[in-house]
Amino acid sequence: MCPKEVGGSVTPPVRVLLFATAREAVGRAELLREVPAGGVSVAAFLSELLREFPQLAPATRGSRFVVNGEYVRGRSGRLVPGDEFAIHPPFSGG
Amino acid sequence: MSVRVSRLPLRIPRAYAELEDRSSGGVVLFVGRVRPDRSAGGEVGALFYEAHVPVAERALRALEREARRRFGARRIVLWHRTGNLAVGVPSVIVGAAAPHREEAFAAARWMITELKRSVPIWKTDRKRSSVRRGRTASN
Repeated sequence: MCPKEVGGSVTPPVRVLLFATAREAVGRAELLREVPAGGVSVAAFLSELLREFPQLAPATRGSRFVVNGEYVRGRSGRLVPGDEFAIHPPFSGG
Repeated sequence: MSVRVSRLPLRIPRAYAELEDRSSGGVVLFVGRVRPDRSAGGEVGALFYEAHVPVAERALRALEREARRRFGARRIVLWHRTGNLAVGVPSVIVGAAAPHREEAFAAARWMITELKRSVPIWKTDRKRSSVRRGRTASN
């Protein structure tokens, strides 16, 4: 999705990173989604993603959410244009 | 480099060289490899490893600091490979050099346990297209 033109300036999208079960559910490792210039709550952003990709719901249960490299508590926090949002299913490295 | 998450092959001699420290009498190198696993039907031929690299490397650096503090490790290696890895290929190297063997063993054991628990890295059996949650396909 292209960045949205807002008030003559380009608003960068939120970059969504998907791993493991989340990536498999959506079929892509990365998405770009627009958010309002004033930002949106992580909870609302997730709800919108789940409306678009209902099959993502099982992968989000037990996952942790990351905004710009920092874990958020539950589904708290906000996203503004240009942020990076990641879904971390339970880890399985090694 | 003591911490690394990348697609680069893991070279055991380089890891050993990274652990060089004249004051360390004990060096422990743990190598985790992709293993064939027949437990879920069919045999795993390869696993796909992926990571949220900046977050994973930051978590590994935190493990490094903590291993130095807890066990007095002088040198640390925490390397994880990503991408498609065939059976037998090293996926992770954890190394510790410490003045005595007890600390080196303890540091290495603690780091691999914590790596699996707290570092955003995932493995997927692409043949079966399922993520192997909470299971150990290496070591």
